[in-house]
Amino acid sequence: MKTDSLHHINLHEVLVKGKQLQAVRAALPLQVISNKELKTLNAENVADVAKHFAGVTVKDYGGIGGLKTVSVRGMGAQHTGVSYDGMIMSDVQSGQIDLSQFTIENVANVSLSNGQPNSLLQPARMFGCSSMLSFSTEKVKYDSEKTLAGNISVKAGSFGMYNSLLYLSKNLSQKWNVNVSANALTANGEYKFMSNLNPLGKNWVEKNRINSDVHSLRTELNSTYQFNSYEYISLKFNQHYSERGLPGSDTYYLSYATERLLDKKYLAQFQYHNRKNCYYQYQFSGKFSNATMKFTETDPKFQTLINRTRIDNYVQSEYYLTTAFQFYPVEKLTFSTSFDWWYNNLFSDSNFGFRQYAAPTRHTGLANIAVKYSTNQLTLTANMLYTSTRETNQNETAAPDRNKLSPTVSLIYKPLENKELRVRVFYKNIYRLPTFNDLYYHDFGHTDLRPEITNQFNTGITYFNTNISFLSELECSLDAYYNRVTDKISVIYGIPFSSVRNIGRVDIKGCDVNFKISKEFNHKSTIRVNASYSYQLAQDYTLNTDTYLDIIPYTPVHSGSGSIAYQTGKWECGYNYLLSGKRFSGQNSNKLNLLKPYMDHSLFARISIKKFSLLAEIINLTNKNYEIVRFYPMPGRNYRFTINYKF
Amino acid sequence: MKTNNFLASFLVSVLAVSFFTACEPTEVIHEMPAVSTGVFVLNSGKWKANNASLTYYDFATNFASADLFLDKNNRGLGDTGQDMIVYGSKLYIAVSTSSIIEVVNAKTGVSIKSIPMLNAAKEPVSPRSLTAANGKVNIVLFDGHVTQLDTTSLTLGTALAVGSNPDGSVIANNKLYVANTGGYNAVKDSTISVINLATFTEEKKITVNLNPQFLKADGYGDVYVISNGDYNLISGKFQRIEAGTNKVTDIAVKAKNFDILGDKLFIYNFDYDANWQATNKNITVYDVKNEKLITETLVTTAIDKTPYCINVNPTTKNIYLGVTDYKNNGKMYCFKEDGTLNFTFTTGLNPIKVVFITK
Repeated sequence: MKTDSLHHINLHEVLVKGKQLQAVRAALPLQVISNKELKTLNAENVADVAKHFAGVTVKDYGGIGGLKTVSVRGMGAQHTGVSYDGMIMSDVQSGQIDLSQFTIENVANVSLSNGQPNSLLQPARMFGCSSMLSFSTEKVKYDSEKTLAGNISVKAGSFGMYNSLLYLSKNLSQKWNVNVSANALTANGEYKFMSNLNPLGKNWVEKNRINSDVHSLRTELNSTYQFNSYEYISLKFNQHYSERGLPGSDTYYLSYATERLLDKKYLAQFQYHNRKNCYYQYQFSGKFSNATMKFTETDPKFQTLINRTRIDNYVQSEYYLTTAFQFYPVEKLTFSTSFDWWYNNLFSDSNFGFRQYAAPTRHTGLANIAVKYSTNQLTLTANMLYTSTRETNQNETAAPDRNKLSPTVSLIYKPLENKELRVRVFYKNIYRLPTFNDLYYHDFGHTDLRPEITNQFNTGITYFNTNISFLSELECSLDAYYNRVTDKISVIYGIPFSSVRNIGRVDIKGCDVNFKISKEFNHKSTIRVNASYSYQLAQDYTLNTDTYLDIIPYTPVHSGSGSIAYQTGKWECGYNYLLSGKRFSGQNSNKLNLLKPYMDHSLFARISIKKFSLLAEIINLTNKNYEIVRFYPMPGRNYRFTINYKF
Repeated sequence: MKTNNFLASFLVSVLAVSFFTACEPTEVIHEMPAVSTGVFVLNSGKWKANNASLTYYDFATNFASADLFLDKNNRGLGDTGQDMIVYGSKLYIAVSTSSIIEVVNAKTGVSIKSIPMLNAAKEPVSPRSLTAANGKVNIVLFDGHVTQLDTTSLTLGTALAVGSNPDGSVIANNKLYVANTGGYNAVKDSTISVINLATFTEEKKITVNLNPQFLKADGYGDVYVISNGDYNLISGKFQRIEAGTNKVTDIAVKAKNFDILGDKLFIYNFDYDANWQATNKNITVYDVKNEKLITETLVTTAIDKTPYCINVNPTTKNIYLGVTDYKNNGKMYCFKEDGTLNFTFTTGLNPIKVVFITK
């Protein structure tokens, strides 16, 4: 085997065939929404995009500033890793990332991997989640004629929403690119909704969603130095400021909300990638992040606090280093290994004399080894991840040291040489560590908590065809899975305090179906149809409980999404829907906890003239009054208009 | 042909899913019994879940209605039922997170008036406990006040400032005793406000253990107090405030909550085990006349879940113990005075108070 040939083949595939083949060739299911598709989804932020993936449940507290987290295949949101431009974001306090803060302006693509991303050459941390939601920013290709490129976008919409983006990319030389972006969002967030005072019947009253304003600014600087086609170093600095009201849950007979959240986040990271030698490739990365959060609430009951206001402050930081190597010792075999280390700390204070505040720290070390055997028709991959943690909590008891081994194996087989039809299987065992909230911040945090374990079994088929005479492209996949969550970290209520224990088991049986077709007419018009459907039966298998076999809260048995987009010349328009079957808001699958099914329809139209594009959107066309999270009403029909200038 | 297949399968999948999501069984409405002789149970519900409810258990039919208030009024009680009393022909229900007082016809369950409990700035003041005397209902408000509701005109009087975050209250010696918990302070409160009901002014504050919460009075004018301490270094206590002298004495009995009937004080207590499950659950009986423990463990029946409320029926002397697991419907045990199990029935989530209705 010649050194350069393999290298070229790899590069060629990535550049020419694009993302779709990645998805059908993935042994661990991968769903990708490309930049082109992103713009046709009536999506405001990354959470809206994630709603279109099969197997995903977005917990959306409604409104522009409402918390939006992603859980995959019936496992809690804390099992979903979120990566931004190749680096995992973390929140060691709550263990979940709020995706409402990432607007889709400037996002190049969003993908979801069940298990883990399929690449071998990646940080060990990428192997350490039950599933991974990834998104990355747009990158401008070098053009010697035009070294300055940019994008200005102004959006206005219902709820007094204004969002403006400025993006500038400058190629200082053929090798060196610098880009900056600023994204400002402001909204009063208020909307009318209907509140049903009789959960078993109908008694609707109109109310106003109050204290839901948002003001945020995200700025970013990226600099990439491309030594040559296979080696680069990049730097990123990111700052995010957000001040928002939390409208809270709708309380019967009361309209009062004063909770506010102030977030300030900073991030600095570098990445170095070297893919020179096909026998030996490697990368190093590092990151520092800091996040401060201030929570305030004013209430007459805080009668002895200054301004009757409760104030909680939290500061958390992360220092992170990772290195990964990949070798091809013999034909068909690839080995990789990666080592990560990171350190987290969390400080807090409060004027609220109700609970004890801790100052925990955690060192996490990961080592991963992976091997891949691949022929033209078969790819077999296996990896083993080792985790080690060390925690301190000032002079108080800290969680014990943990050492864990977690394996993943996967296989993808193409039975027919000339057909893009594949059969795939994977098994993954992984866990989520207890968050600092679980360990130290619940009323009675329990430092002996063990990690919550997930076991995933998946089998599926993928099919891709570009040779159907009346269709340009067909891509589909069907996967069936069985997941088991054990040692579930559950809140055990008590008076006056609650606690957290490893109690419970959840079994999830499900299947995900994805379907994409596109048809091009005379190289002028294109129609694309996407649909996904998920069946997931997530049940409580905890023995000796009243909720044995009940459905896990907020996991619909049936859910799906679909979109149709038509483009001709400078016009593009489309239709999107999201649907969800019935769900339950509590542990108990009874009628009082029942949340009704909903279907949300949206439309858009876009016209692109030269460097300008104009977009008009109608979201929730039928003005459906629904809730994803109980007593957090979603907005009714609303509108957005966007003007974009790209140069 | 193939195109049609694909489009057809797409449409079929859409329709199939729509079908799954569209079919909803219609609710079966049960006919509620007319209120006769029985008990009302106020179920607190879960905080921020708008599921406070009112269970009516009828002695004649042994039927426990799921939520009489919802059934009679086509609306729920609101968020966090806190206390309920029966006075005259009406039930008064304090719903704290919704910050309302529901005035309900005790014979029908129909709401007469729903009174928002807001301060001058229209902020919720969260009613916590209720007592009644001389045609007025005294409402303890968690923002540090007590106010009065005239039971004829159903209008509120002016609010009187007491200590911080007052919770439990009781009338004894023609005075209103209010427990100031100071629950949100760094250092909790440890006083009982004593209010002269004739003038509606605070006469004095009696110092007890840190974080007092539950108050009850016996027939001799003694007031009993359960306090919680600071949940850390200072433990909770069970204490007595002596009538006349206001002398505070510690009682060496572990108590989570209690009720008094005649000379008997019925206490429930429990501990948490390593899995945060309630253990050593039982009812203790204390003699308020001779000030001594009579029975350490009254009940031989194994008690489910976690005790949440205790009330004694003044007519039948039966002891009602409500239990909860904080997630599902609760359960009410009815024990005879000697501790033998009489009957049980299902309540709503977190049963917090039992009142007794006689036709």
